[in-house]
Amino acid sequence: MVEFKLPDVGEGMHEGEILKILVRPGDTVSQDQPVIEVQTDKVNAELSAPVSGVIQEIKVAEGETVEVGSTLLVIRTGEAAVSAPADPAQETEKPIQKAAEKRPALPQTSQTTQNRRSLATPYVRQLAREMKIDIERVIGTGPIGRVTEEDLRQFQQGSSKPSTPDISLVPAKTEPKSASVRKAEEQVAATAFAAPETSSQMRVERLPLKGIRKKIAEHMVKSVTTIPHVTSVDEIEMDQLRELRERLQLHANKRQIKLTFLPFFVKALVIALKEFPTFNASIDDASNEVLLKHFYNIGIATDTPDGLIVPVIKDADRKSILQIAREISELARLARDGKLSLDQITGGTFTISNVGPIGGLQATPIINHPEVAIMALHKMEKRWVVREDEGVIRWMMNLSLSFDHRLIDGVTAVRFTNRIKELLEDPNLLFVEMV
Amino acid sequence: MVVGEVAVETDVVVIGGGPGGYAAAIRLGQLGKSVVLIEKDQLGGVCLNRGCIPSKALIHSAGEYHKLASLEKLGIQLPKGDVIFQMSTWQTWKESVVNQLKNGVDHLCQANGVTVVKGSATFLSNDRIGVETGGDFETYKFRQAIIATGSRPFTPPFVKPDGVHILDSTDALNLQEVPQSLGIIGGGYIGMELGMAFAKLGAKVTIVEAADKVLPQTVASLSQEVLKQAKKLGITIRTGTKVEAVSVEQAQVTLNILTHQNTREQVSVEKVLVTIGRVPNTGEIGLSQAGVQTDERGYIHVDSTGRTNVAHIYAIGDVTPGPALAHRASKQGVVAAEVIAGLPSSFDTPYVPYVIFTEPQIAGVGLTKEEAEKQGYRVKTAAFPYRANGRALATDEKEGFAEVIVDEQSHLLLGLHLVGADASNLIGEGVLALELAARVEDLALTIHPHPTLSEVWLEAAEAVLGHAIHIVNKAKVLQ
Repeated sequence: MVEFKLPDVGEGMHEGEILKILVRPGDTVSQDQPVIEVQTDKVNAELSAPVSGVIQEIKVAEGETVEVGSTLLVIRTGEAAVSAPADPAQETEKPIQKAAEKRPALPQTSQTTQNRRSLATPYVRQLAREMKIDIERVIGTGPIGRVTEEDLRQFQQGSSKPSTPDISLVPAKTEPKSASVRKAEEQVAATAFAAPETSSQMRVERLPLKGIRKKIAEHMVKSVTTIPHVTSVDEIEMDQLRELRERLQLHANKRQIKLTFLPFFVKALVIALKEFPTFNASIDDASNEVLLKHFYNIGIATDTPDGLIVPVIKDADRKSILQIAREISELARLARDGKLSLDQITGGTFTISNVGPIGGLQATPIINHPEVAIMALHKMEKRWVVREDEGVIRWMMNLSLSFDHRLIDGVTAVRFTNRIKELLEDPNLLFVEMV
Repeated sequence: MVVGEVAVETDVVVIGGGPGGYAAAIRLGQLGKSVVLIEKDQLGGVCLNRGCIPSKALIHSAGEYHKLASLEKLGIQLPKGDVIFQMSTWQTWKESVVNQLKNGVDHLCQANGVTVVKGSATFLSNDRIGVETGGDFETYKFRQAIIATGSRPFTPPFVKPDGVHILDSTDALNLQEVPQSLGIIGGGYIGMELGMAFAKLGAKVTIVEAADKVLPQTVASLSQEVLKQAKKLGITIRTGTKVEAVSVEQAQVTLNILTHQNTREQVSVEKVLVTIGRVPNTGEIGLSQAGVQTDERGYIHVDSTGRTNVAHIYAIGDVTPGPALAHRASKQGVVAAEVIAGLPSSFDTPYVPYVIFTEPQIAGVGLTKEEAEKQGYRVKTAAFPYRANGRALATDEKEGFAEVIVDEQSHLLLGLHLVGADASNLIGEGVLALELAARVEDLALTIHPHPTLSEVWLEAAEAVLGHAIHIVNKAKVLQ
């Protein structure tokens, strides 16, 4: 009998939310087979069974927040299971031997065999791929937990709910309706039928604030209530950088690297951070000390289906533009797939929010506490500007810098922004400053 | 030779026209892609021309020939005198079989709009490939490519096949006469299949295997049945034995061997067949120019869609790590083609069956008992012998058994393996059962036609449950 307790899966974590329980009492699990998904500080961690055996009892429920050290489930181990009273049907089999034979496995099966692949027919697997559902995440209701077509539909409805929370607000008479709208209306209608509610209740859908969304909410409140934010906005002429990037892109393409503007922004930022050390700092509220950091880990605010995540490019000052570009693509991909490790989203010293590709003119970004500043980069567009007393068209981009006024004053912030502006408007300077 | 002046543009090039490559090309054609299929030798690849098909033709002839000896007890009186196997006549028949299949592939390629180009392909970059055909050089520009160049027999440095005395499997299938004596280096499935076939045709066969058993990748209980038959056929099997040198003198081949007792001996044979393994054909197609990486053994690693490290270049079949089996290649080819056409396909099944055409045949799918236990399953197993199956007795094929491995708790089928007549055909049911995530009860409750060999699955499944009809069950019937 082994009690499986919530381990500390990340630095200093003391609690985690149970996202998903992948096993049920009575299931046989093998060592290292994933059994529970927990959510800790923006990371989904998959916890694996410490031993092989049979799940005796599950002591937590999905959605529950539990502290490190509390028992999650109890596993009856193989030895204990064997010594259990034998039933007559077991007489045919021999006692379990601990993999005594070292004979190499048949290559036909060992190549692709995964531990405890979910049960489903080939057609259902194909359907899952078409519906973009990871079948391993679906709890099957068929024989022995086999995933059925119906389970996939249920799963899809369950997982798509949070992304369309306002759909029930669509007036009933609007036409034409998409299938999902109709579906939502049917659901609303069904609810109304089951339990009569007032019309205002019917127009509100209640969703639990949990997982990453809950973490984001807590983090934002902490930042805004702790840090006196000031935002300064400036605009940058991008023509030279556009030209340079276009040229270098050909070079990057050869190495199959997608070269966006972001790596240049990171490089310019790091140069400015070295000259303005108070921007690469944090405040220790407990000891009233300022911590100046002599490493440059740049967080990149990234949009994911679950919400905002900030993967970090470590030691950005020691990486080339192409290295940074490659790392950004990789981190973004991991973020979208929900596969970032804790290490990849912690340790940041300054955050960039690059919302420009989506749009927007300016913003008042919230600082990623305990950092002391954040830079948002906005839409690039052709604007009519004055140069040498003449109106000309230039590619322009706005930049919004929020900073912690406890540590940084307005003049310093403008100088810092000016420096970044200078480096981006004449990107040749980037090379002059490069180490 | 001017490279790249005018490139023929196509959506996809498929390099290699074996069972993986042609399946991919045909599916691409069905999905509306323009496809160029490049084959340097013959459509159908090793499988159709020098492997699966011709070897099965030989094994069939050998089997029929061998059965003649046991016809008398079945009531058939052959006229006195020797019955002769004419290997040269067999060659003609084999050619006709191969040609019929090859023409079929050719016809299907045409019908699906696949352009077949004969020649040797070399990648020039990650979107261009050159094809050399008898001195002419043509360049093709592609959006996607599928590498399906297959594998070739591996020969160790101390032995060089000469096609006359020292043979590889291709040479062996092209012989015009059955050799008096045949040495086989390597007791894997190809060595055992061909060794038993030649033994049935009258050759004195000696098989030398370095591992401590032949068919080293097969469970001992299954290969045991084959060993019994090998002994009856007079095959000498030397396991734990290494061949140190091979020399040819006066039309005799001498093998210098080091036995498992560390003694040195010499074995003299008319011909020797080398069947040690296969190596991927990835060295000569300019992979580095396309940026496609291989591992130190030359294999191209791919994801479940067949993608290589270069996102628009795919690899399938024997050039990818895993068993060198035609049915694996075909499935990978179809998946890669569908992914290229934007469909959400994936090679995500662990259920790749294996079939071995020895006497008797061996086939299986899924986990063996040992593998299942290693993965932490508590298993129940039961076997049902052929000798308790009416059809097996009526066709005088009573050797072998079928075994079913299930999870003790859920009764989910984990693996099905069998050794015996027609095992290669019988395993199809097992593959389907595993793909459908069937319980052993599903197998047991399904009516199997009588009298057929397929009843061995029914009975083995019932035996797991403790209530097989045609054997005495070890366990009591469940209440």
